[in-house]
Amino acid sequence: MKNRRPWVMLGLLVILSLAWTAFVKPEKEREKALREAGIETVVDQAQYQPGDQETEGFASGLKQFWAFTGFRNAKTGNIIMMFIGLFFIFLAIKYEYEPLLLVPIGTGILIGNIPFFQDGGVNLQIGIYQTGSVLNYLYFGVLKGIYPPLIFLGIGAMTDFSSLISNPRLMLLGAAAQVGIFATFIGALFLGFAPPEAGAIGIIGGADGPTAIFISSRLANGVNLLSDGTTVKNLIGPIAIAAYSYMALVPVIQPPVMRLLTNKKERLIRMKPPRAVTKTEKIVFPIVGLILTLFIAPSALPLLGMLFFGNILKESGVTKRLAETARTSIIDIVTILIGLTVGASTQADVFLTKESIMIFGLGALSFIIATACGVLFAKFMNLFLSEGDKINPLIGNAGVSAVPDSARVSEVEGLKADPTNHLLMHAMTPNVSGVIGSAIAAGILLGFLG
Amino acid sequence: MMLMRLFTMGAINPDAVDSFAGIVVLVGISIVFLSLLVIYLFFRYGLTFILNFRLRHQARKKGLDPVEVETSQTSLSGEVNAAIAMALFMYQNELHDEESGVITIKRVSKTYSPWSSKLYNMQNRR
Repeated sequence: MKNRRPWVMLGLLVILSLAWTAFVKPEKEREKALREAGIETVVDQAQYQPGDQETEGFASGLKQFWAFTGFRNAKTGNIIMMFIGLFFIFLAIKYEYEPLLLVPIGTGILIGNIPFFQDGGVNLQIGIYQTGSVLNYLYFGVLKGIYPPLIFLGIGAMTDFSSLISNPRLMLLGAAAQVGIFATFIGALFLGFAPPEAGAIGIIGGADGPTAIFISSRLANGVNLLSDGTTVKNLIGPIAIAAYSYMALVPVIQPPVMRLLTNKKERLIRMKPPRAVTKTEKIVFPIVGLILTLFIAPSALPLLGMLFFGNILKESGVTKRLAETARTSIIDIVTILIGLTVGASTQADVFLTKESIMIFGLGALSFIIATACGVLFAKFMNLFLSEGDKINPLIGNAGVSAVPDSARVSEVEGLKADPTNHLLMHAMTPNVSGVIGSAIAAGILLGFLG
Repeated sequence: MMLMRLFTMGAINPDAVDSFAGIVVLVGISIVFLSLLVIYLFFRYGLTFILNFRLRHQARKKGLDPVEVETSQTSLSGEVNAAIAMALFMYQNELHDEESGVITIKRVSKTYSPWSSKLYNMQNRR
């Protein structure tokens, strides 16, 4: 199963590239040529005027029915996207790759790409981008960034910060891994994306799906205007899909980078067991974390405010019912809605673009840089630490969030070097601090570019 | 090759990486580090000091070594941690919140057994 992951990802990239170059690009060029030649797409107004249905009889009725079916309105892009949706559902069911996300997203892709009559801009209130449709109302939660903070509430209510409190110096690894976000931001600018779009793409390096959706919904939502008067591109779908795909691929992307940047001796470093954490410390952490981080970066308020609120519910010990609801019912409901709507937002004309392919490329680069920065910063910290106090650099990768997959990668790689050296509990510190770090980075990008 | 071609089709714009982008990156990285550094310093020094203040005060009153009292309250050896983890694991594995509800006697493939032999029981009834 492990060896299949890179092939799956490569397959997805190849399908996207081929689909775009073979079908979508020629189709767009053909439409452009027709437009330039003054030939507009024929819109037969009679097809959707109910008055004529009664007068022209059975044949006309059938013609009108045909005009409204998916068969008549299907485009190549829709079909390609539906295959991608089916592929996601297949991966989730057959190989259990992130099934809680891929099943809603895959089904959402199917729903979002069902072709329907929209010639001449007719609004039948069906599609996700059509005002007044049910999907459009649900998509409002993505567009206005409502769902991601609710997911953070659930994450806060299920996260145990004890490892972080017991060894807080490892939090700096979580900060170092966020360099990937900013490096990707530069890369996206270099590739010609506008600054808000580049900021949204950069956040893929934070390896945090809700954060990526939150930022892209604010910066690259297809609604905001840029300084030159043009509308920003809608990149929510590609960014969310790229973020979740790479999070699933953490066990493939990270190990080669970790092995490349560490030697055998470093991989064998044993770390001190974490100390016991008192209940008071656990209660104080979310309160102090909330105040300190948000005083420094107030723009991260929606995400970090909810994260720490969820953790207060958990650690206070007197709101067990609320904490239970936040970490089960709320997060489940929001995951269903966010998965479905993000999937449905990947309509072929929005998703099958060269920008999507560039976003996938930048996302991979972002993960690699973030992993490398985490590992290298652990080595850098070791330069100042005494012999018995050193950090195993294999936990540096966990700074990229992707809880708990990247911490699990640290554990697996540590066990490969020494089967008795367990790194999981140490890796959880950079892992959860990576969540905080990526939310702060998101807030900063929002502050500058929003 | 095709992917490279697709990449180069994007309007590559090195001029977009201007001083504003540099400021965003530098300020961004600095603030992320600063935020987590502040939390680190608070939990490494501030909170530990505040929480141990009472312990040290009581230890001094009783004439005990404050450092020793602090350590005994906050540090656990690896063996103790392992014992707690093992106990929790065993406790959770022995929990029976839900039973399967299946009470049918499982049919065994071996049809004959001395345990179910009527003849054997008849002969050895004493």
